[in-house]
Amino acid sequence: MVDKILTVCPYCGSGCNLNLIVEEGKVVGAEPANGRTNEGTLCLKGHYGWDFLNDPKILTARLRQPMIRKEGELREASWEEAIRYTADRLLAIKEKYGPDAIMGTGSARGPGNEANYVMQKFMRAAVGTNNIDHCARVCHGPSVAGLSYSLGDGAMSNSIPEIEDADLLLIFGYNAPVTHPIVAGRIVKAKQKGATIIVCDPRKTESARLADTWLPLKGGTNMALVNAFGHVLIEEQLYDKDFVAKHVEGLSEYIENVRSYTPENAEGITGVKAADIRKAMRQYAGSKKAMILYGMGVCQFSQAVDVVKGLASIALLTGNFGRPSVGIGPVRGQNNVQGSCDMGALPNVYPGYQPVTDAKARAKFEKAWGVKLPDKTGYHLTEIPHLVLKEDKVKAYYIFGEDPVQSDPNAAEVRETLDKMEFVVVQDIFMNKTALHADVILPATSWGEHDGVYSSADRGFQRIRKAVEPPKGTKPDWQIICEVATAMGYPMSYKSTEEIWDEMRGLCPKFAGASYKKMEEQGSVQWPCLTEDHPGTPYLYEGNRFSTPNGKGRLFACEWRAPLEQPDRDYPLTLSTVREVGHYSVRTMTGNCRALSQLSDEPGFIQISPEDARQYGIEDGHLLKVISRRGKITARAQVSERVKAGATYMTYHFWIGACNELTVDVLDPISKTPEFKYCAIRLERIHDQQQAELQIREQYESLRQQMLAGAGAHE
Amino acid sequence: MNNGQANSFVLADPEKCIGCKACEVACFAVHNRENGVGAAAGTVSVPVIPRLYVIRTDSFMMPVQCRHCENAPCAEACPVSAIRQKDGAIQVDEARCIGCKSCAIACPFGAISLFRAYSGGSEYKNRHLKKRQDTTLERKTRIIAYKCDLCRGATPPEEREESGDKSGDESGERTPWCVSVCPEEALTLMTPVKEMNARLAAVRRL
Repeated sequence: MVDKILTVCPYCGSGCNLNLIVEEGKVVGAEPANGRTNEGTLCLKGHYGWDFLNDPKILTARLRQPMIRKEGELREASWEEAIRYTADRLLAIKEKYGPDAIMGTGSARGPGNEANYVMQKFMRAAVGTNNIDHCARVCHGPSVAGLSYSLGDGAMSNSIPEIEDADLLLIFGYNAPVTHPIVAGRIVKAKQKGATIIVCDPRKTESARLADTWLPLKGGTNMALVNAFGHVLIEEQLYDKDFVAKHVEGLSEYIENVRSYTPENAEGITGVKAADIRKAMRQYAGSKKAMILYGMGVCQFSQAVDVVKGLASIALLTGNFGRPSVGIGPVRGQNNVQGSCDMGALPNVYPGYQPVTDAKARAKFEKAWGVKLPDKTGYHLTEIPHLVLKEDKVKAYYIFGEDPVQSDPNAAEVRETLDKMEFVVVQDIFMNKTALHADVILPATSWGEHDGVYSSADRGFQRIRKAVEPPKGTKPDWQIICEVATAMGYPMSYKSTEEIWDEMRGLCPKFAGASYKKMEEQGSVQWPCLTEDHPGTPYLYEGNRFSTPNGKGRLFACEWRAPLEQPDRDYPLTLSTVREVGHYSVRTMTGNCRALSQLSDEPGFIQISPEDARQYGIEDGHLLKVISRRGKITARAQVSERVKAGATYMTYHFWIGACNELTVDVLDPISKTPEFKYCAIRLERIHDQQQAELQIREQYESLRQQMLAGAGAHE
Repeated sequence: MNNGQANSFVLADPEKCIGCKACEVACFAVHNRENGVGAAAGTVSVPVIPRLYVIRTDSFMMPVQCRHCENAPCAEACPVSAIRQKDGAIQVDEARCIGCKSCAIACPFGAISLFRAYSGGSEYKNRHLKKRQDTTLERKTRIIAYKCDLCRGATPPEEREESGDKSGDESGERTPWCVSVCPEEALTLMTPVKEMNARLAAVRRL
């Protein structure tokens, strides 16, 4: 008996629709479905990334039983016991230190929007704090902050299908072929239809290879290049004066701020030829439908928010809003990172981007949730190490569907933070590095095992559906959180995800019309969707009315700041973290898919230039030591001409070659996003390669055993 | 199938390929049904061995695979006649292959590689040839030549006909799985007779 269940892929924000093929209660395959964004195509993760549901225990194992740490060891417990224990410990900490001593996360991955809504409600209403944040903080946090300032909405102003009809694509720090292969298909199509492609990236990425013009700027000089873009638009009078006069504010200050960033000055900072900067902007301004797409190469710097605002300003100056195939697109990385933001898993806003500091919004949520709510913005996820280790302010951490030891910078410090805390809850589907430090583990159901809604990168709500029964001993995330809340004296209960969804949209005007029924009928509903009879909004700012308080777009420019940790004699190279096409995030999912794990496995690669390889005597494929001020790991050399001398790149998916042991926890001052794209390292050659290979295998096996034991699984 | 016409082959367009490797995994999946690989590759217990290879250089990225040369140098080089033309494709008879590597050296495209052979989900051993493993002797695993067979020896997933979007061409030649699965439509099955007719038609229009 073969069943097909239509759902949304759990990897990346493209929001591709697929059918899971289920035979005798097991997923045995996937096939593309005709979704709004993917139109019958899938990348390799979509085709083959479902195997983790069968729990092959390659990297780690599924959690199938609640666990409580007793006498230093995680021991199996009943659900009743685990919920009671969690509630009691949280209550005691709240009693002793106040609600702000407790931090919680949302999850941008499998759980879905409803679970995130329930989690932030739990933190705000049951615990009594706005200390809720999630991994958008380590990726597109700057987009939410920057675009909210410039345009009013922290999301793509455009839609993924519109990409292929643009006349010009300005792609900044975004390697779609690796991060979003299906979005990359739209870029390829745009090119075939005659679009000009301009790519700004220090590395010759696949995006750069597809480009007509590649601007190879030095890592960490984004703001100087974006300012120079603005300078050219102003100096050469290329900007849309009529549009700016009517719909944009801040021009005179902007002109002042970009005045000194002549292309010639910028060339000195960025290394990009002044003539190329001018040419790129003449093309951008001269095109009828110009679209900006950007990614982590913009956001993972300590000057990220400024650059986001700067890029939005380029689009504002040229009037590239309010129509199809223009605008600015921060293409979200994780499958539901847009959704977790939409649901208010952020310390400053309720669901639907309603500020916690807005008395009117607060009053609405207080009435709906029947409780007094805190009025000050909560802590950011990336501030937690400092708040724990230096200020001793946070005592408990409820980590839901995240693995900060793998995903956050300076892993040693993250571990120290977790160990110093009085109480750590990990709620997840797989045993992971963070769970090794947990006091309680709550096993949840996975994508494919529960219903819900994901938000695609282009604001599209889409239904995910249950295809198979979850392992016995697991519960849906929202149900677990409701039980903890109830045990803490704030009763929460829902019959279905639809009931949660309906409560949510009743409180969020932007999402009010996006019912399950409409998603069923349309497949995808893009917000804003204000009423039941509204089909949703493919592109924002129609009529050139922005969502800012006065309806005008805001220009912004400021001085360029160099990244904090510069290379020196001891650490002469720079390291930037990047991604790999066959793996996803912290790799618990793709690392447990047999085909994907085999295509690319531990310890992971470090890309280095042929010049640096020669200097260090390193050959392609050799194992080597990578060392920063914070840690030391082993990785495999990938010598590539696409990399400039002095720069290196590592993917952040690998557990042995875990680049976040090396990265620096410097943060953007506004969005608190870490500078994953820039820190100083040195390389050390390993002479006995055979011995090193053996050590890697042993390390992998011991890590795996640790995970299996942690999950209570036995081979 | 090919009625004495030239062999078809799969060609990649580096302007469209983004190097996602969906073709590699798809190729492996449809060629390993007897090794316990299910509708897709998830249930695999053997290593992923594709018959095409995504090549990455400074300036391009694309899969490279067999051109099914009419005067196949690989077959000419094969000392045991394990490579033959069959059903409009140059195919390796894996049971006959001795793993001598002559074909791999002869191939001007680098489209042949030698890997371990698998059968029924485990390594396929030689009958007599043994190798020393620490202190014991054990039968050596067969090493064979792998290359594209235009999916002649493949079992595609049943779902394919139902989805029906990317069926074979009018000559009845089945679309290789790598072509069907590519999200960027970067791969094409080149059928020489069709190409020639298309070009003639274009000339007539001039």
